[in-house]
Amino acid sequence: MTEQGTTHVIEVTINGRLYSRTVEARQLLVHFLRDTLDLTGTHIGCDTGSCGACSIILNGKLVKSCMMLAPQADGAVIETVEGLANDGELNPLQESFSRNHGLQCGYCTPGMLMAGTYLLRENPNPTEEEIRRGIKGNICRCTGYVNIVRSIMDVAGGHGAEQADGIVGEEQR
Amino acid sequence: MSATSGSKAATRERVESWSGQSIPRKEDGRLVQGEGSFIDDLGLHGQGYAWFVRSPYAHARIVSVDTSAAVALEGVYAVLTGEEAREMCVVPFFQIAPGDGARIEEWPLAVDKVRYQGDAVAVVLADSRDTARDAAELVEVEYEPLAVVVDGVEAVEHAAPVLHEKAGTNVAWHGVYDYGDIDFALEHADHVVKIDRLHFHRFSSTPLECNGAVVDWDKGSGVIDVKSNIQMPMFAAMVIGPSLGVAINKFSFSSRDIGGAFGNKIGFYPQIAALALLSKKAGRPAKWTEYRTEHMLSSTHGNERTFLDIEVPVMADGTILGVKARAVDDVGAYLHYEPLGAVIWSQVLTGCYKFKNVKVDFTSALTNKCPVAPNRGYSRMQQLWMLERVIDIVAHELDFDPVALRKLNFVQPEDYPYQTPNGCVYDSGNLPLSLDMALELADVETWRRRQSEMGTGTGKRIGIGIGSTLDSGTNNFGQARIVNPDLPFSGNGEAAFAKLDLYGEVNINVGTTPQGQGHETTSAQVAADILNMSPNDVTVTIGFDQAHNATVGFSGTYASQFAVTGLGAVMGATAKLRDEILEVGAFALQAPKDDLELRDGACLVKGDPSRSIPFIGIANLIYTNNAMLPSELSSRIDLNCRYVYIPPFEVPDVERKMGNLTLTYASQIHVCVVEVDEETGVVEILSYVAVDDCGKRINPQIVEGQVHGAVGLGIAAALYEAFEYDEDGQLQEPSFYEYHVGTAMDIPDIRTGNIESPSPFTPNGAKGMGEGGGAAVHTICSALQDALGKDGAIVFDSHNTWERVYQLLQSSQGNEPRGVRVISREGGAA
Amino acid sequence: MLLKSVNYVRPESVTEALDILSSNEGAAPLAGGQSLTNVLKHRVASVDLLVDISALSELRTITRAGDGSLEVGACVTYDEIDHSPDVRAGHAILARESSHIEDQQIRNRGTIGGNCCLSDPTNNLPPLLVALDATMNIRAVGGTRHVAAEDFFKGYFLTALEPGELLVSITIPPIPVGGGAGYVSLSVATDSKTIVRAAARVRVDGVIEEVRVVLARVASVPIRHHAMEEALRGVAPTAELVRAAAELIGSDVEPIADGHGSSDYRRKMARVVARRAVLAAIEEGGRK
Repeated sequence: MTEQGTTHVIEVTINGRLYSRTVEARQLLVHFLRDTLDLTGTHIGCDTGSCGACSIILNGKLVKSCMMLAPQADGAVIETVEGLANDGELNPLQESFSRNHGLQCGYCTPGMLMAGTYLLRENPNPTEEEIRRGIKGNICRCTGYVNIVRSIMDVAGGHGAEQADGIVGEEQR
Repeated sequence: MSATSGSKAATRERVESWSGQSIPRKEDGRLVQGEGSFIDDLGLHGQGYAWFVRSPYAHARIVSVDTSAAVALEGVYAVLTGEEAREMCVVPFFQIAPGDGARIEEWPLAVDKVRYQGDAVAVVLADSRDTARDAAELVEVEYEPLAVVVDGVEAVEHAAPVLHEKAGTNVAWHGVYDYGDIDFALEHADHVVKIDRLHFHRFSSTPLECNGAVVDWDKGSGVIDVKSNIQMPMFAAMVIGPSLGVAINKFSFSSRDIGGAFGNKIGFYPQIAALALLSKKAGRPAKWTEYRTEHMLSSTHGNERTFLDIEVPVMADGTILGVKARAVDDVGAYLHYEPLGAVIWSQVLTGCYKFKNVKVDFTSALTNKCPVAPNRGYSRMQQLWMLERVIDIVAHELDFDPVALRKLNFVQPEDYPYQTPNGCVYDSGNLPLSLDMALELADVETWRRRQSEMGTGTGKRIGIGIGSTLDSGTNNFGQARIVNPDLPFSGNGEAAFAKLDLYGEVNINVGTTPQGQGHETTSAQVAADILNMSPNDVTVTIGFDQAHNATVGFSGTYASQFAVTGLGAVMGATAKLRDEILEVGAFALQAPKDDLELRDGACLVKGDPSRSIPFIGIANLIYTNNAMLPSELSSRIDLNCRYVYIPPFEVPDVERKMGNLTLTYASQIHVCVVEVDEETGVVEILSYVAVDDCGKRINPQIVEGQVHGAVGLGIAAALYEAFEYDEDGQLQEPSFYEYHVGTAMDIPDIRTGNIESPSPFTPNGAKGMGEGGGAAVHTICSALQDALGKDGAIVFDSHNTWERVYQLLQSSQGNEPRGVRVISREGGAA
Repeated sequence: MLLKSVNYVRPESVTEALDILSSNEGAAPLAGGQSLTNVLKHRVASVDLLVDISALSELRTITRAGDGSLEVGACVTYDEIDHSPDVRAGHAILARESSHIEDQQIRNRGTIGGNCCLSDPTNNLPPLLVALDATMNIRAVGGTRHVAAEDFFKGYFLTALEPGELLVSITIPPIPVGGGAGYVSLSVATDSKTIVRAAARVRVDGVIEEVRVVLARVASVPIRHHAMEEALRGVAPTAELVRAAAELIGSDVEPIADGHGSSDYRRKMARVVARRAVLAAIEEGGRK
């Protein structure tokens, strides 16, 4: 958008679906997702970009959606928690979180899942320390992180072609 | 939406019992798909968005409030001020405190004065979040700042500005707890250890989801519909109902998924009352979303408690005879649920120890800070921490081994049920075994060797700490009378419904407000055991709804009691349902009831499965086909079984401040190893072990998760988290930018062990657990104490930043007063 | 949490960005937004027009020159710096310290330019850039100028940038032969806000020939401690001498106090981190 304005028309692809909306420039991307598009799986836990509950994957990068403005997402390809399962069928990472009791209240969970998804794409075989670094930007108050680390570790490595997000053959860095 | 995750493990063919299994949770399916319903996900047609206008001053007179510019902003529906709120109310909020404290006047919004930074003076309703926020800035408030008091001790012991003129004092409550004969013990003990001051700091659990509500005061029906994440909804109704002039049955409280609470979501009923008035004024629903800074300033802080002039009589062999202390509890500017904290700590008067002589002079002090309300480990954690410090300091000063000293003074396994000096009854446990298990899991032997090999000069020190704690669960609300004898409260309870629905579906409702503890799952487990079916086929209604009528006065989720009260209610209701099904089955199958059993959703004759009737058939006979039944049966069976579990309590002896204040006592013993950098005071945790005993565990994985979570919060509180105010009453940590919440890189891996000492007092042998008694705070402080070494300073505060650790190390080398003295009787070994 | 109404524009070139910035008084560049967004959320500063430069390819290159110097575009992210083979080849310390900035999400968006232009004393990269003797390359409508990193940070949230100017890249000279760099941060928690930190670059040739010691969070901007440098120049690179030199950090620095540390603690810890940073630099230089 090379014209300046307080409102802009943006086009965003989210979980494979294209949306076109008019947004106020001041609207945070997380509010765009939650309020404008009713994608309420992405959560808000703070107001300083510290907690990571709003984490999504944008253009292949894990980001905090509360730290971006909606117009900045124009043209972007976004993945949110709503895109992880396949028509109600949980993906291996989601199943692992449940199996390993990696969630209690579930509020940090969407952000954790996106962080875990991104981490395993970048590093399919992380050590425990690397997992902890990978979720450092995601605060949890319920679990003490122990079972979250186990959940991610449980789908790491040794799974051949089936990676954590079930996408086979995804190019790794 | 299908929740496939729950089905995999739970379709095992035959199991002994579902209770005791770590089955995956029913909650998970929706939560891992982002399909939970948290309060900000919900709304009502036509709603406005609310934003509170809050005082920047800690203490000030409100000279004027001018809302004209805000009202004029396009999109603003209404603005409500404190004066208006007062006029719309019948009486101020009910106060738990007696005497002076009872004269505190609190309204839904501040009137005449503001008393803490963040005190709400007005609230705006507008057509969007943004407009409400913008309009709030346009509300012009003129303040006349007043002198501020931010220290609890100063607030009550010196001439300090009084917050509530009508009370005339900052003492919200005062009382002396006196058991045995501490003065005799002090006079005759071999040693007396005197500690000048121990301080438990102010922090909270900061649940990731902040408070929120959608409140609709419907003009037509007069019903106030409250969707929120408040965790004790009926308590909220009881407080705000009389103020708003509204009967309890004109409220409709409900909640769905809650993003953590830890007690911090009990106290925000003033906001709900303000929103109700705002909704009434505007004629539309009011939706409020609290953001983090607002939460930190104005939601809930944990009790900050200062212990002064502590005296501990100790015999030569290490037997501790008791403790004497003065306690000042800083409870902030208003009393929300306080001053119950002034009695609740006495549930763990003596902690894990069996000494008999205790005297605590307890004052609850009002200060110009955020109001205090329950925080995980509410009020007990502070007492338990003090006792653990006492044990460690006595060991340190008198050269006892901290392990041996604990074992000597622990309540012993053969002592249970053990009555404490104030009449509480510890139901069961095995503290020495728990401690041994923790020490072994932590391999303390190896660490002690490494500690001594390290010696001096490496720049690092190792410290090994122990924290013993009790998690008292299921309150006897009669203890409120110890604070205020006029309060008509006693006992406790929880309600549940077990129902066979029209097509034979099994449905459970409970009066609790779960925030991640897995109530749907554990309720299904116990119900499945009683009905002999898979938990997959037991539906547990999500969340809380007053309309379900599964509530009693104290319904909610708090105080580590669900496994006892909630599951007790579920078990009672399900047992009734089972009985009703068998009754109908006996008629349908023309067989004696004793010859029947339930299995996988049917009622059948034992040994003759060809004679059976499925639940759908049972339901049919009662709901849609009742002429088939003899009226004797259909008149008393309705397959809708409500049960209230009532724990066996009596009204406490208010005069002597004695009674059975809590039904169960879970315990945890933690051991940790830290490494301290001598040059900087930086602490690294090398190993962390927690052993818990909560009686029979219904779902071990869920129990372990609670232990992990409590450890995470406790470590972060001990090293990183604190709410501090400057002398002008400005909060120094108003957001997550300043308030450092422990991250995955700060909290280490936690190894756990467990013992199950079943409670003889509960229907299922389980004890409530979850809060965790603050064990990690005690344990980290203990490890730091150990790292400071034999002649070192004492750890006197629950919060130890790197700088404080550095100062403790420095003062260990100097000759500064350490705040501790030992007085030994002549002839007694020092 | 909710922003005031603001204008937004996404120019397609640096030239266009400069035009907009120079002709709109209330305009500010928006790069990664990992700081500015918070400023706007809390309404502590007023911006009328956000000029989004984060995607401008001209600002997102990393070039390693033949002489080993490095030019990093202002809108290169911390994560890109961390993974860049060109950065790792000759300035491993920059890659390493970028990888320790807060968390993955922030590293995926935050930029080196943003880290410098905010001039918050807790920012990670400014002290390192001063220690490495970097040059800030600044463009305006009228042309380009260069400012030494040491002269770029003027005060709290204040840099040498004039209105209408844009930091376009940072040039870092090669670490001298026989030299090394060190960076030590005493932080509130792991990879978290700093209490006090030090960055150092030394060149040893028998004795310490060149030394730069930079302290952060003891003043409003990163400062070189000339007395400590003076004491180290020409002496043997021993632990005792480095310790003695660090003791010169004294009442000449007046760090602020806050919830994470008193003034006195920061001062004392400044000696510790300065010493450790210099020793790390000496060790790195010795390894090469």
